[in-house]
Amino acid sequence: MYEFLKYEVRDAMTVAPITIGPHTPLREVEALFERHDFNGVPVVDEEQRLLGILTKFDVLKAFSLDVAALVPHYDTLMEQPAAAVMTRDPVSVEPRLPLSRLLQKLVEMRTKSLPVVEDGRLVGIIAREDVLRALRRATLQHETPNHEDAPS
Amino acid sequence: MTTLLYTHPACLEHDAGFGHPESPARLTAILNTLRNLSFAALEWREAPPATREQLTRIHSSTHVERILARVPKQGYSAIDGDTVLSPQSGEAALRAAGAVCAAVDALLTGEADNAFCAIRPPGHHAEPNQAMGFCLFNNVAIGAAHAHAAHGLERVAVIDFDVHHGNGTQAAFAQDPAYFYVSLHQAYIYPGTGRRDERGVDNILNIPLLAGSGSTDLRHVWGQEIEPALRAFQPQLLLVSAGFDAHYLDPLAELNFNEDDYTWLTAQILTVAADCCAGRVVSALEGGYNLPALAASVAAHVKGLLEAPRAVQRALVKEILQRRKPGNESMA
Repeated sequence: MYEFLKYEVRDAMTVAPITIGPHTPLREVEALFERHDFNGVPVVDEEQRLLGILTKFDVLKAFSLDVAALVPHYDTLMEQPAAAVMTRDPVSVEPRLPLSRLLQKLVEMRTKSLPVVEDGRLVGIIAREDVLRALRRATLQHETPNHEDAPS
Repeated sequence: MTTLLYTHPACLEHDAGFGHPESPARLTAILNTLRNLSFAALEWREAPPATREQLTRIHSSTHVERILARVPKQGYSAIDGDTVLSPQSGEAALRAAGAVCAAVDALLTGEADNAFCAIRPPGHHAEPNQAMGFCLFNNVAIGAAHAHAAHGLERVAVIDFDVHHGNGTQAAFAQDPAYFYVSLHQAYIYPGTGRRDERGVDNILNIPLLAGSGSTDLRHVWGQEIEPALRAFQPQLLLVSAGFDAHYLDPLAELNFNEDDYTWLTAQILTVAADCCAGRVVSALEGGYNLPALAASVAAHVKGLLEAPRAVQRALVKEILQRRKPGNESMA
């Protein structure tokens, strides 16, 4: 029953996730959300360095009522670049973080997914669904991950 | 005992573009409702155009000329992302400001008790030198200045219950103690002004409400702040910037008023007017963008105006009877 404690983020994360650049317009980001079932997408530069996270909430926020205009200018706002509305300096985790700790973080932050960063570069995304799947595997099939680099 | 309704066909032809929320359909919905038999007592009048003299009491003549010069022969001309002109916009804007001035004239010459101006474009965002937020000329401010200049009134109050702050009206009056401007609006939305600490020369009362505020909050701030301030000012005329976008179904804001709140608020305004200025109230349409909610709210408001003279009479009769009660010391 303790298999889950042996899992690390790298065992459950999505490797090489879909990313966008800082100049990607919101219209393309929205289309991406439409095609794929995720809530946020990492924003990276050409060297895969993580610049921010753009979630569906960030997109909604761009269209909310504010002091700038009586009516939000929906068309113009759709052409805004990701960098204008993304969440900067997002919380990220390392691939070797125990999944139990990651689970704790998601619960505490009430967030749906976190980027996984190694040596400053984005290597994956870990989401609620990934943790749920790992929990199922660990509790039903009692699978123990095989870490070749683990000390014996 | 009369309630006047000022409007003009040009106000139906000002068109800010396809799908724009400040649409001719707003006025059509209102006028259709007010044609109902239950409003048969309303006396309809065609709004005259405002004169240059009336407009330039609030706006610079440069502003007036600039706006009228921007009116396109065909198509559209955008002043900003919100504020767009079509070929009839100049005429509509002149009639809208003219309506309020004519209503002020009618009340101050004793022709009527109160009036509602079913007009567009709206006015309260228009500053002395800047059109913005759907507004070209500041209809209500122009009406208030007309009452002051042409009729010699020394104290004119403007109550603005549109969900957005009337930055234009505040800008026009912030330095002039002949006017008292009170605005009830949602905080942190367009245009961003209307903080409590914007007090002019102690003649501005801004009451920003947080998103989600409704009936209870309205009654609280009215009783605690607005009514006492209005009574202390003792206006000789009350003008109302009547926007109905604080309604809970309005798409451009997040306050939660309903039709009954507008009935209640109208009755409160009329009570203060009855006590301070023989019931003289000129109300002018500002915002309100959900058509059924707008029509129902305007109906509630205008019904209140129609019934006001009777309410004033009832209050007078009650007061007289009270004084004649045997043993009442006030008779001595």
